[in-house]
Amino acid sequence: MSRVIKKFFIASMVMWIAPVAILYGFNNHIFPGTSKLSSSSQTLVSGFLAVISVNLVIVLYIIMAIKEPGSNMEHQPDPAFLAEAKASINQPAAVTTDDNAQTREKAE
Amino acid sequence: MNLCKEMLYTTCQSVRNQGSYSPISCVASHQLRLLYSSLSTAIASSWSRALTQISPYTFASVGIAISIGVSVLGAAWGIYITGSSLIGAAIKAPRITSKNLISVIFCEAVAIYGVIVAIILQTKLESVPASKIYDPESLRAGYAIFASGIIVGFANLMCGLCVGIIGSSCALSDAQNSTLFVKILVIEIFGSALGLFGVIVGIIMSSQATWPAKTT
Repeated sequence: MSRVIKKFFIASMVMWIAPVAILYGFNNHIFPGTSKLSSSSQTLVSGFLAVISVNLVIVLYIIMAIKEPGSNMEHQPDPAFLAEAKASINQPAAVTTDDNAQTREKAE
Repeated sequence: MNLCKEMLYTTCQSVRNQGSYSPISCVASHQLRLLYSSLSTAIASSWSRALTQISPYTFASVGIAISIGVSVLGAAWGIYITGSSLIGAAIKAPRITSKNLISVIFCEAVAIYGVIVAIILQTKLESVPASKIYDPESLRAGYAIFASGIIVGFANLMCGLCVGIIGSSCALSDAQNSTLFVKILVIEIFGSALGLFGVIVGIIMSSQATWPAKTT
């Protein structure tokens, strides 16, 4: 479960940081060759690159999530609870077995 | 009395000119037309004057606020719809959580589109000298930023809501039958394309928002 959360958290962070970094880079002329662009084409290029980067992160996350094996982390019931449940089924007293049968049917 | 005679005279003239044969409706429509044109010029001039006297900075700032505010509204709505279904369905089927967080990522992308456009729009906002603030060009820039903000905000609002509801049913059906997940994901991709349309048009709209040059 923690692997899932970690992957999700990293994807979210990258999804925020990448487009803001691209916009910052274009506006402050950090990337080479961006000072020659006119203002309107600079807006267009930086905006589209930022949107493309967000979509790229989404596609990468989808690939990572679908490729995951998944069935390793089967839901294991708590062993102490399991032992208590088994013990209560095998109780010798008739009254308690009737009660247990009734509660088991209700749970079904 | 004279007024009535005058009205009748002009009516008959207009009947002859227009060739219409129902004088009562002709009178009514003629008078209404006169009234409407005088009222409309009065109303139009005062309303249009009022609208053009609003500073373009107001429109631009409201556009920036709407672009991020309403996008985040849509994204939050989608995330809480998806998240509550996901957590509920994961009680009995915990395997669905890793794949169905994709829906949450789609909704968050909607919020990020709003942030991107808000950052772009605020770099477009420049100061002009006070003499040029009501020039047609600076009004145009103000309106372009306003329109861009509204486009992005409302497109993302609906996109976030759409992806949220689809994601919620995706989680519930994946819990029952895991072969359905990929099919519902296709629908969700179409839903998320709606926000993309809004962002593209908003960015194109904002790229042509140029204010008048500072030199006179």
